[in-house]
Amino acid sequence: MPVRRALLFLAGVLMSVQDFTMMIVKSFRYLIFHFRMRESLFEMDRLGVGSIPIVFLANLFAGLDMALQFSVVMAPYGASNLLGRVVATSIIRDMGPVLASLVMSARVTAGITSELGMMATTQQIEALLVMGVDPVDRLIAPKILAGMVMLPALSVVGDLLGVLAGLMVAQLGAHVPAPLYWSGVRSALTLPNLVNGMLKPFVFGFILVAIGCFYGLRTTGGAQGVGRATTKAVVSAAIWILIANFMISKFLIDIWGWKL
Amino acid sequence: MIRLEKVTVAYGEQVVLDGIDLEVPTGKTMVILGESGSGKTTILKCVLGTLHPVSGRVLANDLEVGKLTDEELLRFRQRMGMVFQEGALFDSMTVGENVAFWLWEHTTLSDDKVEERVRMLLQFVGLESSLDQMPSDLSGGMRRRVAIARAMAAEDPAFMLYDEPTTGLDPFTSKSICDLMRRVQREFKSTNIVVTHDLTDAYRVGDLFTFIKDAKVIATGTRQEIEHSSDPFIQTFISLDS
Repeated sequence: MPVRRALLFLAGVLMSVQDFTMMIVKSFRYLIFHFRMRESLFEMDRLGVGSIPIVFLANLFAGLDMALQFSVVMAPYGASNLLGRVVATSIIRDMGPVLASLVMSARVTAGITSELGMMATTQQIEALLVMGVDPVDRLIAPKILAGMVMLPALSVVGDLLGVLAGLMVAQLGAHVPAPLYWSGVRSALTLPNLVNGMLKPFVFGFILVAIGCFYGLRTTGGAQGVGRATTKAVVSAAIWILIANFMISKFLIDIWGWKL
Repeated sequence: MIRLEKVTVAYGEQVVLDGIDLEVPTGKTMVILGESGSGKTTILKCVLGTLHPVSGRVLANDLEVGKLTDEELLRFRQRMGMVFQEGALFDSMTVGENVAFWLWEHTTLSDDKVEERVRMLLQFVGLESSLDQMPSDLSGGMRRRVAIARAMAAEDPAFMLYDEPTTGLDPFTSKSICDLMRRVQREFKSTNIVVTHDLTDAYRVGDLFTFIKDAKVIATGTRQEIEHSSDPFIQTFISLDS
């Protein structure tokens, strides 16, 4: 019996991987061959523009905190002059994209899963199919594009806010002159850092939307099922974002070497 | 014409349809009756191609549904209207947008033409004044009417499928929905399948009747043939309803 259960579990996992892959392949095919401009712009506004306040707030406080912590660690070594470079590097390479994605997963992934889950449990998804419209075409592909476009955009502006917040702490708390801080920030704007800062949110945007869509479409079991699917989606998205973050960091370090 | 040949459907080890045969002639309405959970809705899903039988085949106008590719299925469904149990209206769209949806997706009609047709369809179901209302503002009966209007949006629906279209409605509203279904059939001469457990409504809309019990078809025929059936289940069903 345990063997049978294990085999059934494995079969279930394989089926899920297959369904997820199919959904993604179809989404990209629709994005290329049946692009929906109106729906894509609508989703960009909803997912991206709607997330501006929380992403900015998160980056602002992350910048403040990081500058504060680094100034405490660096001051005894007389390295406060490097504060701008350290804060900018950490925000651009890691904290900015990861923080923006995690905050957005709470809003966007949860929103997408509950929306699609509700549609699935009230037969609206089935209604789309019956009307000859593929839900992946109408609902999923525009959302995935919106995630991949809007998260990098939000992340860039969020990074800037984080660096500005760091400046505030550097000037008022660590007494680092603004020109010195800015020269550090400028020296952090290297190609490896910028590639890091753009590639990560692009991938994370894809992850948080694709996972939300996948769990949403598979929702069963009424309101309770929607709640369960939403929780699973948000947790999965957060874990996959952290895994992807490590893998991209490793991949880019392997390419660029240990250059900053 | 819709034909099911030895169709078997199973969810895991639970057999929902067990080798059933069914034929709905072109332009006729077949009503499928049976207890809740007897597999009635599963038949509709097989016809729509959203569920694939374990064995057997489903034919719609000589087209084998199970052999269609995803793209072919989407095209095939464009000539099909389906009314779901609770309407399944898109709750983020107004009534007008729900009815216009098919036209936006599958035609290149101008906005004026779409609106003209939407108004005509809503007028047909008696809900022209609800054009800008949201589905959540409508009663159960009104939602079914909108669902029927939406299903009719296809220029010439060859098949109309109704899943418990009168469940949960009061007798007056049920009758008006049945009358509307009859009008739709007269208008489009479509081939219809209606799933219900209400015999009164079944007699109002059906030409042919099929009883399902324990995943099998136990009787098919006209009203007279059904009423004269000696099957104890059917006799009980009829007597309980009357």
